[in-house]
Amino acid sequence: MPGTILENLSGRKLSVLVAILFFSQLGCFLVGLIAPKPANSQGILATVCHNNKTAAKDMNYWVTRNCERIDLNHVEPGLTADDIVFVLQMPLSPEMDFSRWQQNLVGILQFDLLYQKGLNPVDFIVELTIDARLAFSDKKRTGGRTPWTYYAHSEEKRYMDCNIDLKNIKDPEGYPYNCSMVPLFELGSLYHDYYLLNIRLPYNEQQMKNVDLRKIQDVYLHLIHMNGGFTQVWVSLKTFFFPIIIGIMVWFWRRVHLLSRTPALLEYMLISLGGTLAFLDLPLEYLTLWFEMPYMLLLSDIRQGIFYAMLLSFWLVFAGEHMLIQDNGEKNSIKLYWKHLSTIVTGCLSLLVFDLCERGIQLVNPFYSIWVTPVGTNLALSFIILAGISASMYFIFLCYMIWRVFKNISIKRSVLPSMSQARRLHYEGIIYRFNFLMLATVICAAVTVISFILSQVAEGQNKWDENMELELSSALHTGVYGMWNVYICAMLMLYAPSHKQWPAEPICTEGEEVEFSRLPTDPTPNEISSLTSFASKASIE
Amino acid sequence: MRLTELSGRKSSAMQFFYYIVLSIFSINSTGAARRSPINGTWIRMGMMMDEKMQGDQGPPTCHTLPGLSPGQIRLCQLYMDHMNAVALGARQALSECKHQFENRRWNCSLLNDVNVFGPVITIASRESAFAHALASAGVSYAVSRACRDGQLASCGCSRMGRPKDLRKDWVWGGCGDNLEYGYKFTQNFVDVREKERKFKRGSKEQGRNLMNLHNNEAGRRAVIKKSKVTCKCHGVSGSCSLITCWQQLATFREIGDYLRDKYDGATEVRINRRGRLQLRDTRFRVPTAYDLVYMEDSPNYCIRDERVGSLGTQGRTCNRTSQDLDGCNLLCCGRGYNTLKSTIKERCHCKFKWCCEVECKTCVRSVDVHTCK
Repeated sequence: MPGTILENLSGRKLSVLVAILFFSQLGCFLVGLIAPKPANSQGILATVCHNNKTAAKDMNYWVTRNCERIDLNHVEPGLTADDIVFVLQMPLSPEMDFSRWQQNLVGILQFDLLYQKGLNPVDFIVELTIDARLAFSDKKRTGGRTPWTYYAHSEEKRYMDCNIDLKNIKDPEGYPYNCSMVPLFELGSLYHDYYLLNIRLPYNEQQMKNVDLRKIQDVYLHLIHMNGGFTQVWVSLKTFFFPIIIGIMVWFWRRVHLLSRTPALLEYMLISLGGTLAFLDLPLEYLTLWFEMPYMLLLSDIRQGIFYAMLLSFWLVFAGEHMLIQDNGEKNSIKLYWKHLSTIVTGCLSLLVFDLCERGIQLVNPFYSIWVTPVGTNLALSFIILAGISASMYFIFLCYMIWRVFKNISIKRSVLPSMSQARRLHYEGIIYRFNFLMLATVICAAVTVISFILSQVAEGQNKWDENMELELSSALHTGVYGMWNVYICAMLMLYAPSHKQWPAEPICTEGEEVEFSRLPTDPTPNEISSLTSFASKASIE
Repeated sequence: MRLTELSGRKSSAMQFFYYIVLSIFSINSTGAARRSPINGTWIRMGMMMDEKMQGDQGPPTCHTLPGLSPGQIRLCQLYMDHMNAVALGARQALSECKHQFENRRWNCSLLNDVNVFGPVITIASRESAFAHALASAGVSYAVSRACRDGQLASCGCSRMGRPKDLRKDWVWGGCGDNLEYGYKFTQNFVDVREKERKFKRGSKEQGRNLMNLHNNEAGRRAVIKKSKVTCKCHGVSGSCSLITCWQQLATFREIGDYLRDKYDGATEVRINRRGRLQLRDTRFRVPTAYDLVYMEDSPNYCIRDERVGSLGTQGRTCNRTSQDLDGCNLLCCGRGYNTLKSTIKERCHCKFKWCCEVECKTCVRSVDVHTCK
């Protein structure tokens, strides 16, 4: 019976392979160092303009920055809420235009409300009603720009928490409230060169529109976009890995088919894991340079989701197949793991539903947010909690299985001294390599967690160090991405069936033959790993 | 710039010797200053009216702007569009100074002379330290804000002092924060006048320069210190696998409050032989870059003294019940006060209607107004 490459590879070859993988991992990390940080933000101060009430009924009426300005600190009497429009032109500098490499755009509003004496409670929630209209414009080839064209419009409700700490302030007049941010829109594709946002805050006592709003000093819009440089590095990384993973998959599957048996469960799992990784690596981002694809955000979420689901399932099956207990001779199938896999399916499905609710509806209305209405919030929370429960269930299952594998190995190890020397050495080698790969998995998971924490910490801090030109957070992202690619490539290569027909020939020069397939009660010859066969043998012994 | 050196003990004879040397130098250098008078302070720009900054004849040229030093004129020519923000920042600083010192003996009185604050600012006192820090903070704040308003051509993305664009900073990845831009511009613009003239190491003038530089830095840092960091998660399914943070400018009132606290806790320093600032009293903590430093004691602001620029506290209103600095006891410097009964009408029980309406009732209240003798 053929074993896997992992068991047959000589130590030297294995170390060469590990070195190659390590250097490609290092390369991914270094590539990230030259890239700018993944995303950047831009704060834009809204221009307060005079609104033409009658003209504003037309959805194609746009107020630009060259308008009749209003100073909110010194307003003329008789000015009403309908006379005011906040104009935000994106990007900030007129000399710049958005690049399609920047992928997506998130807009968050910040309202600076002022405390006025004899007027305000200290702590309150504002229910904002925002009439937001978005237009786009492009550069013309001949120079100049196309006129502003309607993109989206919506009247949205948002909640904003405001408070002021009067204890530490002697004279609160003119002090700002500390208000929470108001997420406004999310564009899945940054297809056009310029965008224009017109925001109106209608006032209506009957319909309770903006009745809690206080004196506004400033309105800021904070834009978050991916950095073109980072996208370029990211996409080139994908372009690099995609053919490699396809090649390895073809090689792997060819090897499996060369065997005279049907592929085992673990091999199916491996090839589908490779498939999801290839799907993740597929550089679809190139298409966004030519086509408007607002569903890109959703698609990339789904791609990542499928990949993680597959990776988690693979770990379960991997641990289960190395349990070293062959209950009976029957062929393992995915059905055996339905209990464990259902946790993954529930978790991923609930996340998918949540994602569809938020980003799916954003395809139609970029201003939509599930978190605004209480029903939506509860729905979103319940889906996320469900996903969290499934995730913790999954990890309990996984840890239990891994613990059993290690327990079995240690039990079997105690049997080792009673074996002949050659066989013992060989088995020890297998166990060692198995542990090595388990260790690699744990390291990969730990590195992922640590780097995510690090990138949050790095982002949360302010760096005022002028010499800090290196961008660590993008290096962490590319590093982690490269790591999972390398990990799965390694899995596919090391767990591919070996073409060496070694059980038929002596492994040691002493002539001692290691009997793997010659077990007296050897069940069906379909185990892929001689480790499992070792386990069966040991249990028989 | 940090005060890294602590004073070492010297013999009194040595101190006496240095005192004489120091005074000779100071006489010399005041003579030098008289020969090439600095045209007041640039803070005067804050007293210019809006019309003057955006006159019919276009913006004023850099030579007509008041109080700029040669280096500042050069920067003005390079960054003409920033001058509006500078003027705005200076004006904001002046009104904030008035607000913060409303109830103190020195009430940040603005005099119509080249120094804006009168001779007060030429004394290396706490007040001068505060004025420098606040003005520097004002410019830093106004430039950052003007950046976000899209008024400035050079900010937004390309950094100062770098070759233009650099392929648009690799599709905007290298865009710095506006706050950082404001900080750097102010560092150039405000500090340049302190670096233009070289004084003898250890001289009083050099000490004053170092003190100004330190306080300017403290002002700029106050803007950054008071800004809030806000983050947004935008990774897979809105998770925090990708997170972006940005700086949110505080209001200038918050910065003013912060600097006023720093004023109250300012540290007295002196210049040593090696031309570094050192603590006058070693029992105190070494000031950080966020703290204010001063070198001379403040003049007596109780009595009117044109020479030092003090207006005196006579006629100022005070608070009878307060034990604080605005209390009649302290503000009137023990001279007593007059009381006047008056009724004031004020708005109360207000309800705000967005956008611009405040519905109020009028309340009548009788109050006693106390003024210093």
